[in-house]
Amino acid sequence: MSKIRKNYEKSFAYRLKQWVNGDLDIADAKQLEVQIPEKKEPEVFLNSMEQETLDDIYDERRNKLLRRMDLLSKAASVVLCVVLIAFLLVMVADMPGFGDAASPVNNEVAARYIESGIPETGAVNFVTGMILDYRAFDTFGESNVLFIACICVQILLRLDKKSKRKEVQDIKKSAAKELKKEPGEDLILQKVSMVLVPLLFVFGIYIILNGHLSPGGGFSGGSVLGAALILYLSAFGYEKTEKFFSQKTFKAITLSALSFYCLAKSYSFFTGANHLESGIPLGTPGNILSSGLILPLNICVGLVVACTMYGFYTLFRKGDF
Amino acid sequence: MIVRFIFAVIFLCAGMFMLATATFGVNRFNKALNRIHAAALGDTLGIFFCTMGLVIWKGLSAVSGKMLVVVIFFWLASPVASHMLGNLDLEINENPGDLIIEHHEKQEEEAEK
Repeated sequence: MSKIRKNYEKSFAYRLKQWVNGDLDIADAKQLEVQIPEKKEPEVFLNSMEQETLDDIYDERRNKLLRRMDLLSKAASVVLCVVLIAFLLVMVADMPGFGDAASPVNNEVAARYIESGIPETGAVNFVTGMILDYRAFDTFGESNVLFIACICVQILLRLDKKSKRKEVQDIKKSAAKELKKEPGEDLILQKVSMVLVPLLFVFGIYIILNGHLSPGGGFSGGSVLGAALILYLSAFGYEKTEKFFSQKTFKAITLSALSFYCLAKSYSFFTGANHLESGIPLGTPGNILSSGLILPLNICVGLVVACTMYGFYTLFRKGDF
Repeated sequence: MIVRFIFAVIFLCAGMFMLATATFGVNRFNKALNRIHAAALGDTLGIFFCTMGLVIWKGLSAVSGKMLVVVIFFWLASPVASHMLGNLDLEINENPGDLIIEHHEKQEEEAEK
C-alpha cells in the first residue's frame, strides 16, 4: 500500500466518506478506552437525632407549616377551578347564539361555500369540498406531516440490521425473546378479532368512499383502517401480518399516495388558475362517482393515515416493520 | 307516548346509575382486577341501558339500528379488552393477594401425560 493511500486513510475526508457510506459507526470509532469507574454512593446512616429533624420537616403530622401549605394548595386549586369555570361561562354567555345570522362568523366566505360549493366542487358534504378542493394543499401538508412524523420515528427507533455493535445485538435478542411470547395465542382475542377485523375494514372503506357524501373522509376512515390492522397484529402476530403488510408495502403505499395527490392537485390548480379545461368530470352531486378529484384524494389520505398509524405501532413495539 | 317516555327515562336512569357506579368503583378500588370488574360493568350494562333508553325514546329507525350495532360492538370489544388486561395483570403482578390462579391448560396437559 502506497504512502499516499495510508495518509489518505488517516485523513478526515476518508473517515467522513466511510461514515457517509455507513461502513463506520461513529460510536465505534470513538470508543472510549478509559472506563469510568462506577461511583459508589456512600450509604447514609442517620442517627436518631437527624431522623427526628427530618421527620420534623417532612412529616405532615408534626410540621404545622407543611400541613397548612397542603390545605392551602388544595383550597387554592378549588378556588382556581371555580374562577376559571365562572370566567368561561361568562364568555359563553357573551357569544352569539347558535344560528345567529348576525354573528361575525357568517361572512361572505361561508356564504360563498354554501351557495356555490356544490356546483364548483360537486361534493354534497361542504366540509370535504372545502378541505379537499378549495384548500387541498393544506390537507396535502397535513398528510405530509403524518408521513414525516413516521419517518422521524423510524430514524429514532429503527434497529439497524447490519450493525455489529454489541448493544444493538443485545436489543435485537431481547426483542426477539419478547416477540416470541408476543401474540400470546389468546383464543378469545383471536376469535373476536376474526369477527371484528373484517367489519372494521369494511367500515373504514365505507367511511373513506363516502367522504364527499356524508361526514367522514380520509382521516377518520384511515384511522379506522389503522386500528383494524393493529387489532389483527395483536391477535395473530407479526408473521401473519407481514404476509400482506410489510415495510415494502408501507413504502409503496405512502409514496404513491402522496405523489399522486401532489401531481393530481397541482394539475387541477394549474389548469384552474390559467382558465383551462381540466378535463376532470364533476358528475352529478350525490353519486358515489362524482365530485371530480375528491374521491381519489380521499382514498390517498386514508391510505397514508392507516399506514402511519400502523407504522407507529410497530415501530414502538418492535423497532421495525 | 308518555308511557314510552317514562320507559325511556327509566332505562336512561338505570344506565347512568351503572356508569356512575363504574366510575366510582374505578376510582375507589385499589387492585387492578377489581377496577377492571367495575369498569367492565359500565362498559357493558351501562352502555346497553343508555342506548336502549334512546332507542325507546326515538322509536325504531335506521339510527336506532346503528345504535344497536354500536352496542354489539362494545359487547364484543370491551370484555375482550378486560380479559387481556386481566391476563397482563396476572402475569406481571408480583403480589396478587388471595387470588388462587388456576392454569387450566397446564392441568390438562398434565392429565394427558
